[in-house]
Amino acid sequence: MRAGRSFAVVLGIALLTAASAAETPSPLRPIQFTDTRLANGLRVIISEDHFAPVYAIAVTYGVGSKDERPGRTGFAHLFEHMMFKGSDNVGAGEHFFLVFNYGGSMNGTTNTDRTLYFEVMPRNQLDLGLFLESDRMRSLAITKENLDNQRQAVQEERRLRLDNQPYGKSQERFNELAYDNPAYHHSVIGSMEDLNAATVEDVASFFRTYYAPNNAVVAIVGDVDAKATVAKVEKYFGDIGRQPNPAAVDLSEPEMKAERRETIQDRLARLPQINIGYKIPSATHADYPALAALGQILGAGESSRLYQRLIKTQELCANVGSGSAQRMGPGLFNITCAVRPGKNIAEAEAAITEEVARLHTSPVTADELQRVRTTARRSAVSLRESALARAQSLADNAVLFNDPNRINTNTDKLSAVTADDVRRVAAKYLQTTNRVVVHTTPAAAPAAPVAR
Amino acid sequence: MKNLSFLAILLLAAASADAQDSPGAPQPTDFKGVVLKNKAPVSNDVLRVTFRRPAEARLKNGMDLLVLEEHRSPTIQIEIAVPASTLYDPEGVPISAAMTSLMRLGTKTRDARTIAETLAGLGASITFNVGDRYAYARFSTLTENLDAVLELTSDLLFNSTFPEDELAKWKNQQLSVIQQARAQPEFLATERFAQAMYPEDRRSFVLPTADGVGRITRAMVLDQYARIYRPERGRVTVLGDVTARDIAPKLEKLMASWSGKGSTPPELPLPPASKGRRVILVNRPGSVQTSLYVGNHAIDRLSPDYVPVQVLNRILGGGPASRLFRNIREEKGYTYGISSGFSATRYFNHFASQTSVRTEVTADALREILKEFADIRTRPVPADELQNAKRALVASFALSTENPAAALSNATQIKEYGLPADYWDTYPEKISAVTAADVQRVAQKYIPLDDVVIIAVGDAARIRAPLATFGTVEDWDAEGRPVAAN
Repeated sequence: MRAGRSFAVVLGIALLTAASAAETPSPLRPIQFTDTRLANGLRVIISEDHFAPVYAIAVTYGVGSKDERPGRTGFAHLFEHMMFKGSDNVGAGEHFFLVFNYGGSMNGTTNTDRTLYFEVMPRNQLDLGLFLESDRMRSLAITKENLDNQRQAVQEERRLRLDNQPYGKSQERFNELAYDNPAYHHSVIGSMEDLNAATVEDVASFFRTYYAPNNAVVAIVGDVDAKATVAKVEKYFGDIGRQPNPAAVDLSEPEMKAERRETIQDRLARLPQINIGYKIPSATHADYPALAALGQILGAGESSRLYQRLIKTQELCANVGSGSAQRMGPGLFNITCAVRPGKNIAEAEAAITEEVARLHTSPVTADELQRVRTTARRSAVSLRESALARAQSLADNAVLFNDPNRINTNTDKLSAVTADDVRRVAAKYLQTTNRVVVHTTPAAAPAAPVAR
Repeated sequence: MKNLSFLAILLLAAASADAQDSPGAPQPTDFKGVVLKNKAPVSNDVLRVTFRRPAEARLKNGMDLLVLEEHRSPTIQIEIAVPASTLYDPEGVPISAAMTSLMRLGTKTRDARTIAETLAGLGASITFNVGDRYAYARFSTLTENLDAVLELTSDLLFNSTFPEDELAKWKNQQLSVIQQARAQPEFLATERFAQAMYPEDRRSFVLPTADGVGRITRAMVLDQYARIYRPERGRVTVLGDVTARDIAPKLEKLMASWSGKGSTPPELPLPPASKGRRVILVNRPGSVQTSLYVGNHAIDRLSPDYVPVQVLNRILGGGPASRLFRNIREEKGYTYGISSGFSATRYFNHFASQTSVRTEVTADALREILKEFADIRTRPVPADELQNAKRALVASFALSTENPAAALSNATQIKEYGLPADYWDTYPEKISAVTAADVQRVAQKYIPLDDVVIIAVGDAARIRAPLATFGTVEDWDAEGRPVAAN
């Protein structure tokens, strides 16, 4: 099963219009990368960067909590933990033991759409990283002992992040309320009952179906030689057998007809909180860049409309923000605010709704759009300062959207958004009938202190 | 464009590697919680990284200037640091924080909103902050906006008006900040630990009190500003896409009419280790986990034991390869994560291990943590485990070169603590020289066992009895108040 090489070099070319070039003094060089597919279907993306003697490797699998079957919520993430419990040539825990003891760092992370594993290592440990990643893709050790062990760690993770935190319950309920399709309806961490129900057979079948080279992308960024590195990837991964492509999950959502709302009592919270989510399309939709710009203008940072009104002028909120995550399927445009002690939650929500309605009718200003472009440029610059950030972005964009070059084009698309685009998408998606609202009420509020 | 110099390769004394080849060699160490098959291809070379040194100069007003040029991307970060200390703030009264926040909320020509919008338009950030030894003005900008950001920084630093209405708004907001912090179990644990470690002074206040916030007046803020932001004995550090020759005259212009002497940080003694075993419980009803801190006083930054302590901590609780993680997470499954660390600065000298465990295993987890503490004190660290820790510390230097701020921070550490100029150049040799006997010696000295402070934040109704098996329980509530013993 040696790979026949198709060595396609993709140069991302930023399309700079005359107008945006005038406002962007030194255009950033597009991030360059090679894009190869081995015979077993593994996609290999390499981007050389010789700034520091390190490399980052990101391995993204096309599987997330969207792929979980009913009664097995949290399984994709539980599986991620199993990936550190050994394979034919790597003992349980030896993966992180070696990476850290040889000066590197590593982790794994799971979301609705994908599962990502990464290491950053000194450049002379390239073989180590490839060996560790390929051995577990080839031959994961699937035992009941390992499963029980990591089930405990994952349940502690759920307690740490959700059950023992204020607003943890609200966040979980918010997604359940927003999505009808089971794919995005449940939390990534899953329920305790479902985590308890997971079996060794589940692990084995999940591994066979989703952890195949044809369902994965390896991205390597850093102090490496692209050509030699592709050859090395072939050496380590080339003989891993391909599997039938997993069936694509239907992510579609029925259109919302009416607002949905709920109030959650939270014993661990001290301030009331409002979570609002408007249903929006996938990150690949033509409207997405305008929604991203809108999220910034409305609720990112101290210059944003919600900050100025709710925190500075009316002093209703303790914090406020808006924005959306890039998803394969239907997304949510989120607005979150914690309400100040002694302030009225309904009044805060009414003020937010009014700011949203203003976007339907009056255009955002040229200054606001300029700030969006500057922020996009700053993000593009930070991306160039971290090999790991680039490796993750390349691998994720390849797995989620089949387009690693989004690493370059995202910035351009965001910079091209007009006031008209923003008004149009606000009117289209940010409607009351298209939203969910969750209020959190502190169940045992402490005595509110008063400033003198 | 390669700015790093590499002195080929450093081979750390490979005691365990040699041992494997000789008959009668010691058995491989049993690394609890992990299974080693030793089949993965590792390179035993350790890349030796030499940190770049910034160019140094002196500005006309006497401030030191350190410039580390880095043209990888079009950004510049500048930090102005002048002697000052929050440790002078009255207890629970965040006067320094009020001052630094208001410096971004109004000048003679700009109101708060204009300042926020201008910063966002430039893609820049400007922040002011007072720490325990210095007051800082820090800004970062895209190269093309350097002049505009310098102008704005100058305006905020020298023309702030500290508007009365902005102060009132800031004070209101702090009350929410206090409530949000008190909802977090990790915060409550940190607060109690700080108070146990530094009960006599301001080091123990990690959060202002509502009362303290209420006491702040504009007159107090103006008075604070007059005393704090003064350039004498200060320094400016510059990192990024600009040359020393270009930035120096711009900084001279920025600070042309700035003069005066600020405050000298206080002489605060480093407290000695807390005696006996203290068990401090913070009741957070409804908790499903217990947040733990287990620690005591240890070393400050200038201790001769600083280097062996780094190796010790790497073995005990520094990262997932460490004993605490392998035992308490990987083998026992009590937690999602556990670590330990030394806080060793001019004013702080403590060690602690931190974790959150499910309520039911609170006592079991504590017992295991103390067992690991006892073990590293009594049993010499096996050669291969020592070797791993030393290699990891030196090899990870390669990763820090990706962020040139690390090199600059190393250079300022040398200045702040009066370390030898070649301190970082010889750091790998210092690490290599640490022996198992050194590790055991510093473990016995600094890893707490009989004299130990245990903080537990959780549901008292469920964890008080198990905690009582470790000593007399001192009860607190989530508002930071002691609760009468029951």
